[in-house]
Amino acid sequence: MAISIQIETVTRAFGPVRAVDDVSLEIRAGEFFTLLGSSGCGKSTLLKLIGGFDAPTGGRIAFDGRDMAGIPANRRPVNTVFQSLGLFPHMTVAENVGYGLRLKGLRGAALSARIDSALEMVELGGFGPRDVNLLSGGQRQRVALARALVMEPGILLLDEPLTGLDERLRQQMRDEFGRLHKRTGATFILVTHNQDEALSLSDRMAVMHRGRLEQIDAPARFFEAPANAFVARFVGIDTLLTHQGVIREGDATHALIAGEKVPVRIGGPAEPAESVVALRPDRLLLHPHSEIELKNALALRLKVVETRYRGLHHDVTLAFADGQRVVVSLEADQPVPAPGDLVSVGLKPGGAMLISNAGLPAAA
Amino acid sequence: MMQAEGTLSRLAIWTITALGLIVIYAPPLYLLGVSFNPALQPGLPHLADLTVKWYLALSGETQLVAALEQSLLIALVTAILATLLALFAALAHMELHQRRTAWFLTVLLPMFVPGVIQGLALSAVFQRAGIKASMLTVIGGHLLWALPFAFIVILTSLSVVKRSYLMAAADLGAGRLRQFLDITLPLIRPGLVSAFIFAFLLSLNEFTRAFYLAGRQNTLPVVLFGKMNAGASPTIYAMSGAIFLVSVLCVALVAGPALLRRRAGPAE
Ligand SMILES: Nc1ncnc2c1ncn2[C@@H]1O[C@H](COP(=O)(O)OP(=O)(O)OP(=O)(O)O)[C@@H](O)[C@H]1O
Ligand SMILES: [Mg+2]
Repeated sequence: MAISIQIETVTRAFGPVRAVDDVSLEIRAGEFFTLLGSSGCGKSTLLKLIGGFDAPTGGRIAFDGRDMAGIPANRRPVNTVFQSLGLFPHMTVAENVGYGLRLKGLRGAALSARIDSALEMVELGGFGPRDVNLLSGGQRQRVALARALVMEPGILLLDEPLTGLDERLRQQMRDEFGRLHKRTGATFILVTHNQDEALSLSDRMAVMHRGRLEQIDAPARFFEAPANAFVARFVGIDTLLTHQGVIREGDATHALIAGEKVPVRIGGPAEPAESVVALRPDRLLLHPHSEIELKNALALRLKVVETRYRGLHHDVTLAFADGQRVVVSLEADQPVPAPGDLVSVGLKPGGAMLISNAGLPAAA
Repeated sequence: MMQAEGTLSRLAIWTITALGLIVIYAPPLYLLGVSFNPALQPGLPHLADLTVKWYLALSGETQLVAALEQSLLIALVTAILATLLALFAALAHMELHQRRTAWFLTVLLPMFVPGVIQGLALSAVFQRAGIKASMLTVIGGHLLWALPFAFIVILTSLSVVKRSYLMAAADLGAGRLRQFLDITLPLIRPGLVSAFIFAFLLSLNEFTRAFYLAGRQNTLPVVLFGKMNAGASPTIYAMSGAIFLVSVLCVALVAGPALLRRRAGPAE
């Protein structure tokens, strides 16, 4: 039942604004795909194009290879959980959930059996006769989800379905999505700006920025090889350092940062002149005792600028000789170095990556 | 001190409100009182003298009754047509984007054309086109008068129909017609009822346009006006009183359920 989606050089322009700009993407049948991006980057617009609520100004969208141009939303094998839910206020929970099936001509016992099982699936068994206006936020979300799932769609679109829920409910609903994806086998496309959801649920995800897809990959790849500085920042790799040059010696590549030779892994095809070094905070190890011999070639010598107590750990801000800063965390029971101390920082393999500087503000 | 000031300003606001309400409602209530007065001269009756004899006498006033029948018929047709046309106009307004304001003002404009001018203009145009003054010409004039009001009422009620409801319905397989029948129509039904009653009352009470456009059979307000000038029989007070009471009843029918619903619970 799952349906694959082909998106080929799709553009949606609103006057001079290109909300979706030359996007090409192939989503496999049955995949859980997540679109990640900050507000206004065009996620909802892309979703509306897939759902058929809007038409692209350029390019082509196909389901299982069949061109969808000219096919309106009500005749696409897609169902959507809208950001604003759009529950019908004059219908009960059961009437909301059963609406789509009624349109298909289902009536009576068959209809109510399907409604009941859909409500069971989202753990709202027995809620059928309730007034949708009197439900809690999380219950309303689940009614919207049941209303879409009961149609057994080949493609389910979820537009920020967890925004505005409290943290506990968020986690609960997130797990539910994963469960429902396995159970229904449909192609899921989730739109969010919360990376936790994206990372834990997706087979693959895409980071979107100003209407373009910056990277399309499995979640782990965004940390192993971010496509550029924007993506790195977006997934939380905040330390991006400019370098004075790249030295290649056989297999190894080093970037020169304020006199230090930092071993880097090449993240992608980046021009040395237009690249930055991204440091993964989880792969930096702070040795607070400056007397430790630097027998390890993968160590940097940095100066402590300040330390900050963060409860379970300390944040230690370190500076290169040219003033560029790195924040490293230190377990709370470790001795804290004093500002001005020189410390050595170990760099685990893959801790430093040479990536394109695209997406960095010009001043940096 | 703060509290004293609060009480004082509240007292002032209530006083002004009460004065305003008295100014608005005293005249029709006075008329209502007069209609129960047995005397031939208008004046408030003593409690002991209250009588409904003028109301009973109404059935004998064939001219008044015929005018009332004519008015009710015109109001009914006007209300049906105005509600339907206003519904279409409001739906068009929902679909329009840039030209929305222009459309809004276009539909609303007849509301601001003085009745005397519109009545005169219409009667001149009808005469020119060779259309004889009849019930239909009055309905035409009343439609222009009632349509903008019905439009505003329906437009207001359409604001509860969120775009996302229609998108969700489309998502679940509903075409445009089904979206309208299943989502829009049930949500704006109270607005349609209000618009209908509004248009009905506006037409029933309209004088100026009917004065110019009526054919052989005049409408009730025109006949009442004529009778006033010819030296009033107390039956016209009874007729006015009856219409006033029925109007109040209609408004109560519209507003009553809404008020009750609000009291029943904070429904959205
Ligand atoms: N109907 C429209 N007319 C004009 N511009 C639009 C329209 N819809 C969207 N846009 C513009 O397209 C851009 C992308 O909008 P979109 O709603 O897709 O963002 P988003 O990524 O979903 O953001 P959010 O996370 O805030 O929901 C925005 O700049 C927005 O102003
Ligand atoms: Mg959005």
